[in-house]
Amino acid sequence: MTRFDAIVIGAGVNGLVAAALLARRGKKVCLIEAARHAGGMAGLRPGEGPALAHLVHNLSPAVRRDLGLGRDWPFALTPLATVALAEDGRHVVVDGPNAKLADGTAHPFAAAHAALTERLTRYGALLRNMAETAPPGGGMSGIAMMRQGLRFARTGLSLRAMGKPEMRRFLQVLLSNAYDLILDEMSDGPLAGLWTADAVRGAALGPRSPGTVFSLIYRMGHGGIVSRPEGGMEAVIAALEEAGRKAGCTLRTDTRVARILTEGDRVTGVATEAGEILSAQVVLSSAAPLTTARLTGLDHFDIEATRRLRNLRARGTVAKVNLKLARAPALPGVDLASARMVFAPSAEYVETAFNPSKYGEMSEAPVIEAVMPDPGAASPWLSLLVQYAPADLDGGWTAAARDRLAQIATRTLARALPDLPGLVTSAEVMTPDQIGAATGGPGGHWHQAELTFDQMLTLRPGNGMGHYAFGPSGLYLCGAATHPGGDVMGLSGRNAALRALEDRA
Amino acid sequence: MSLNATYDVIVAGAGHNGLTAAAYLARAGRKVLVVEKNDWIGGAAVSRSLHPGWTYSNCSYVCSLLRREIVRDLDLPKYGLQVIPYEGGATFTRDGDYFAYYSDHHALHREMARHSRRDADAYQRYAQAVMRQCRFIRPFLLRDAPDPASLRPRDLGEMAYLVKKAHGLGPRELGETLRFWTMSIGDFLDEHFENDLIKAHLAGSGIIGTGLGVYSPGTAYVLLHHYMGDIDGGIGAWGFARGGMGAISAAIGADFEAHGGTILKGAGVEKFLTKDGRVTGVALEDGKVFKAPVVASNMDVKRTFLTHVDAGDLPPEFTRAVERFKIRGSSAKLNIALDRMPSFPAAPAHASFLRGDLHVSQSLSELERAYDDWKAGRVSAKPYIDMLIPSQIDPTMAPTGAHMMTVFVQYAPYDLAQGSTRSGVNWDDAARRQLADCVLDQMSVACPDIRERIVHMEVRCPAEIEREVGLTEGNIFQGELTFDQLFFNRPVPGWSQYDSPIKGLYLCGSSAHPGGGVMGAPGANAARAILRADGVRMKGYAA
Ligand SMILES: Cc1cc2nc3c(=O)[nH]c(=O)nc-3n(C[C@H](O)[C@H](O)[C@H](O)COP(=O)(O)OP(=O)(O)OC[C@H]3O[C@@H](n4cnc5c(N)ncnc54)[C@H](O)[C@@H]3O)c2cc1C
Ligand SMILES: Cc1cc2nc3c(=O)[nH]c(=O)nc-3n(C[C@H](O)[C@H](O)[C@H](O)COP(=O)(O)OP(=O)(O)OC[C@H]3O[C@@H](n4cnc5c(N)ncnc54)[C@H](O)[C@@H]3O)c2cc1C
Repeated sequence: MTRFDAIVIGAGVNGLVAAALLARRGKKVCLIEAARHAGGMAGLRPGEGPALAHLVHNLSPAVRRDLGLGRDWPFALTPLATVALAEDGRHVVVDGPNAKLADGTAHPFAAAHAALTERLTRYGALLRNMAETAPPGGGMSGIAMMRQGLRFARTGLSLRAMGKPEMRRFLQVLLSNAYDLILDEMSDGPLAGLWTADAVRGAALGPRSPGTVFSLIYRMGHGGIVSRPEGGMEAVIAALEEAGRKAGCTLRTDTRVARILTEGDRVTGVATEAGEILSAQVVLSSAAPLTTARLTGLDHFDIEATRRLRNLRARGTVAKVNLKLARAPALPGVDLASARMVFAPSAEYVETAFNPSKYGEMSEAPVIEAVMPDPGAASPWLSLLVQYAPADLDGGWTAAARDRLAQIATRTLARALPDLPGLVTSAEVMTPDQIGAATGGPGGHWHQAELTFDQMLTLRPGNGMGHYAFGPSGLYLCGAATHPGGDVMGLSGRNAALRALEDRA
Repeated sequence: MSLNATYDVIVAGAGHNGLTAAAYLARAGRKVLVVEKNDWIGGAAVSRSLHPGWTYSNCSYVCSLLRREIVRDLDLPKYGLQVIPYEGGATFTRDGDYFAYYSDHHALHREMARHSRRDADAYQRYAQAVMRQCRFIRPFLLRDAPDPASLRPRDLGEMAYLVKKAHGLGPRELGETLRFWTMSIGDFLDEHFENDLIKAHLAGSGIIGTGLGVYSPGTAYVLLHHYMGDIDGGIGAWGFARGGMGAISAAIGADFEAHGGTILKGAGVEKFLTKDGRVTGVALEDGKVFKAPVVASNMDVKRTFLTHVDAGDLPPEFTRAVERFKIRGSSAKLNIALDRMPSFPAAPAHASFLRGDLHVSQSLSELERAYDDWKAGRVSAKPYIDMLIPSQIDPTMAPTGAHMMTVFVQYAPYDLAQGSTRSGVNWDDAARRQLADCVLDQMSVACPDIRERIVHMEVRCPAEIEREVGLTEGNIFQGELTFDQLFFNRPVPGWSQYDSPIKGLYLCGSSAHPGGGVMGAPGANAARAILRADGVRMKGYAA
């Protein structure tokens, strides 16, 4: 039997962060990952091509600081412009607050775009304040309460500093839907399509669904810049892994936790599938909440809690499609090598793409985000996120269904990139059911659990479970299903680790 | 009727809320004139006879939300108001069965168990959860919505009340409340029930009048909006106003007139007159002018400020906020005079549930698809219908032996798509016939002989509800009930307390907090705000 201060289950982004942080605070930590590599959902690879996550929106500087990584991440982040693809060739190039047409002429809604970017980035910064702390309440210690109180007060003060009209507008916009917010400012087209696509990426929602402005702002909390990690998502994962290793954390891959062990109402360690027992007073799990509860034994959770966990909505809607190309595609006036392409020609299109997913069908005309992670390669990969591809596809995700998804994706992109089909030499597909199976997160949802108001803050992942502590004493959740949520950001893992340290202090 | 040139207060619009505001003000001794563009009063709470012998509740058709405090304050029973509760309802299946809803607990359990034993057992938990939310929200309906950005004592006081109430729930229940307010009715029902038919039956109230689908976040609140009323203390119960919904407006109007108020019909307001940022009166379409230092508009916020006020009189940010206000038409209605009771072959003889609300939607996904049609500008192929035959309970609605049927339809778009255009003008006779046909097809699931029973039928599409009642786009609530348009956000942030940037100009209709339905609350609350500005405390339970 091997003894640790803390065991972290799952070496996804959040597990990696939690483990490294605990180790840096002097704990003897073992990080256990079922897969052969660390990285979790973000690092999953459908085959030879790029990993699922291909861009960084909000990788948290708070995480970087807490992991002692200095002023800069040990990998390069290349900020990308976004090309909102248009079927008529009038593509829109968006670089932060600037939007222009690909031929260099002004976009008719450039001013509206700039104002929206400025406003939502400001709102995002407020939310980020809240993301960097545990949700209110939850029986924490006096000091933690004070610290958290200060943070919320700061959020409140920044709100007040906005002035009354802006504060009021914030409280309205936050609750709105992206479709109306955007179309109130510009007429429908590729630019509006881009905004609304960004608002729903990863969600089982369409832009008309109330609350989608929140998910839009969520990703803009760190300035709204989209970056490509050089060396792929593997570089990000390696950096987090290295931070843990340096702090003395043991990483055991290819090891599946079969049970979380308890004695009475206390956690005592874990048993691996191979029968090995590792003991620790503290266990953090980045596996999905219901999965974690099952590993612990449902008898540790009252009926109410179990019901809540079963009701947690986590229907993935995004599939990964990697296209191997004979050479990079070209678009006049656009440097595709340093661009993110988004095919969402209008907000209406995005909403329409959402419709079939409600009935277990894939979109025939999906929303696509496309990036070349390694544009310098002779025959580069084009990495696509294809939405909506519902986890619970009618008839199941057969090989034929996956093939069809790849064809649909190629055909759809060809509406703006006519030479694309001729360039594709092979394709690989990974659908939400596979993502779920590979990470133990039912539904393969981007955020492990839908990020809507009813599953947010103290309600994430369930009412009464919003403070990382979960079931028996010493057990914590630390994955994206906890506050504040997913993306390659690391805050769930960080907040959970801080909470565990706080409780042991 | 002798008219003066000046009044203390003018109310523009004799909808039930305008009349409620007027009645409270008249009771407080104000000299009040109500001007109404139609030749009748009531707005969307109206009874009209369009075919000799039959009376229709042309728009709203059932009553529950009307605040009992207002009924008492305005002595409405004295003016003939009588609300008769109905019990139960049913959803008919396409294969000749039905799910019946009974208010009797045992009967309901038995019927639910016939479809799903598990659901029958789950119902109590569901009903309790909804009831707890109703109890929580009810006290807020007759209070002001605090402005969270303000430090005025009254706002802080209202905020403190909210915090106290929320705190009183305890953390667990507060969490449930936040969840309930923000989730979709579909998800909420999926958490409790397994049977498609039962879920479809219960979901209807979550989408009535709204431009959202059963799976849109926020529709659980819409359900609450339909459950938070009561009849004779029975929370969530609905009933018929004897003589149709117009009886409510008529009673409020009668109380108003009994307290010295004047109603001028056929008197559409052309313009709210202002001077130096203050309202001074109204100019009518026929050129008449009436003066008053206070004017309350019963029209929706868009019509009030974008059509009848000079843009130059308003701060541009306010105008922009009003332009952004979402007020989408999504409902239609059929009112039908029947020669006799239609047959419902699936129902047992003399089934009591036939006196309640009848539906034919089979599942949540059928309802969601109906919403998708609406988004695309089409009348739903299989719309949600809420049909009732009030003449079974209220014989004044039709000749002896004959009947009257009211059929509410969700969804019908205001901006109907035709070719490449989407516009209210596309609602021509052909489009309305098509709407009626599609609704009658749906109804035939329950009563196959419906087409043979029709003596007269009124088909109301959103464009026409707009034209007649003045509800912009035909939106039945004078504005969507989404969280960005409720409470302190209703109608626009910073102006949730009935007043406006033009001094003396108030809103008293459903665009204001707490929103639409035949409730009277916006009218009563507006009257309270008007009196408060004079330093007077309103009398009555609603104060
Ligand atoms: C298709 C797709 C594309 C995405 N693209 C991006 C993107 O471009 N940018 C971005 O910011 N975000 C992206 N995301 C979101 C992001 O990848 C996730 O939100 C994030 O990776 C979640 O990390 P996590 O650590 O919380 O959970 P996970 O990554 O799910 O980690 C959980 C880990 O626990 C392990 N585990 C589970 N059970 C056990 C067990 N019993 N024993 C041992 N280990 C176990 C799993 O193997 C897994 O490694 C994408 C998501 C998807 C689905
Ligand atoms: C088809 C339909 C079915 C409904 N069903 C129900 C139901 O069953 N139960 C329920 O509780 N609620 C129901 N509602 C909702 C409810 O009827 C309304 O929300 C409520 O009646 C609105 O009342 P109000 O006084 O705020 O406004 P309104 O009734 O809209 O009153 C506004 C008044 O202003 C007048 N007006 C407009 N323009 C001018 C002008 N320029 N000058 C002078 N006057 C003007 C109008 O003619 C009208 O009388 C329904 C609504 C509709 C349309």
